[in-house]
Amino acid sequence: MTDLEPGTKLASVVCATEVVVIRAPSQPVEITCGGVAMVPADGPDAHSGTLGADATDSDNPTLLGKRYASDETGLELLCAKAGDGSLACNGTPLPIKGAKPLPSSD
Amino acid sequence: MTSILHGTRVLEVAFWTFVPAAGAILADWGADVLKVEHPETGDPQRGLATLGVMPGASGDGADFMIQFPNRGKRSIGIDLHTDEGRELIYRLAKTADVFLTNFLPDARTRMQIDVEHIRAANPNIIYVRGHGQGAKGPDATKGGYDGASFWARGGMGDTLRPADSDLPAGMRPAIGDVMGGLAIAAGISAALYQRERTGHAAVVDTSLLNTAMWQLQPDVVMSGVLGLDDIPRFANNTAANPLVGNYRTGDGRWIFLNMMESDRFWSDFCTHLGRTDLIDDERYRDAKVRADNRKACVAEITDTFASKSFAEWRDALETMEGVWAPVQKVPELYDDKQVIANGYLCPVTDAQGNDLSLVGAPVQFDEQPHQLTAAPEHGEHTDELMLELGYSWDEIIELKTSGAIL
Repeated sequence: MTDLEPGTKLASVVCATEVVVIRAPSQPVEITCGGVAMVPADGPDAHSGTLGADATDSDNPTLLGKRYASDETGLELLCAKAGDGSLACNGTPLPIKGAKPLPSSD
Repeated sequence: MTSILHGTRVLEVAFWTFVPAAGAILADWGADVLKVEHPETGDPQRGLATLGVMPGASGDGADFMIQFPNRGKRSIGIDLHTDEGRELIYRLAKTADVFLTNFLPDARTRMQIDVEHIRAANPNIIYVRGHGQGAKGPDATKGGYDGASFWARGGMGDTLRPADSDLPAGMRPAIGDVMGGLAIAAGISAALYQRERTGHAAVVDTSLLNTAMWQLQPDVVMSGVLGLDDIPRFANNTAANPLVGNYRTGDGRWIFLNMMESDRFWSDFCTHLGRTDLIDDERYRDAKVRADNRKACVAEITDTFASKSFAEWRDALETMEGVWAPVQKVPELYDDKQVIANGYLCPVTDAQGNDLSLVGAPVQFDEQPHQLTAAPEHGEHTDELMLELGYSWDEIIELKTSGAIL
């Protein structure tokens, strides 16, 4: 797996998805799109294949401009190009990042 | 559809309820209100009702504390601590009629969103500030919530305490903020009119302290006129007119009588009370003798009200000529026939699919109830607004990567 640091650009092998790493994970992780490990966006394997028939790999097509985050690992990705594949981190689907309200008192 | 402010754009950089409530009213009236929130943390009011911080709120259902002051707005996540974020806020300001904020003076200066900077972007923008305790004076730079500036300092807590207790009355959530918001909305409406008429764009200031004083005005003015050290407080039903006051029903609820001109209503009141024997009773037959014999008169009325239930009295008094009202509990407002007939409660559905009702702004136009939509999610409209402003996706991704926008 490529070293992930903020600014790293990754591409899907099997669809048009591209992401930017916004927050690096606290430990090494495998990031997949459409069930296949993502690769450096400027590398030869980017967008080189096609999405398989496995439905779970395309349940949640990536959405342009959305952030995807994993609470367990601290990973946060920004979708820079949308595609048909679903993102996952260590096999767990990566959800769109929600607002994190701060506990407050009035 | 109420759209009296259609075509007016309000740029809101504000937290909590006081100033956002003003934006909510303008949104009810049809303005395009853009709520600016920090990309990471958002309005700290988010989660107030659902994170278990607020007493009585369970965390189930809609986040009602973010819903009511933010309905109908669009939310954009911008980090105003960054140069790119500031450039964006100025670009938005160019498209806006009103800039609305409750950030403290030093924060506005630090973020360069003070009058000078926003006016440099748009000289015709109406600049609106919500303060704790005013734009001037030694405490102008200090923070203020309605609990402190409105309720405590503004005299509400002491004024509303029971006559037999020195404990300040407790405050209900945001009760000063929502009134302050109403005042701001009125100020903005007048400033918009002035700008149309003369071209002058005003700086509009409202404070929670001033709002409390406005609400307590009869007591404030009386204190000055009479030179009082404290306001007079009265126990229930001790005033000269027994036809003004609370009376307890047989089942422990209350009916409030509000017949100021008691001679006009005495006979009809006694008839509805089922006490025609009191009409010509020489102790009670006119205002003068009722005042002289108020204790006995109140006792007669009190005993009579204790003989029937709340529901029975509501039926019995339905046709009474003088003004009265059942003392309702808040949940009973949902079934109040006047609330229903006038559309005062407006249904919305939040992003999670929760249905809830919000109270429409207390001014309707052309007899139309407000049609409301729910509050936005944190930064929900960031992409939409960036595209509307003419940013390309490459630029948007760049700003997202740097963290300047959500």
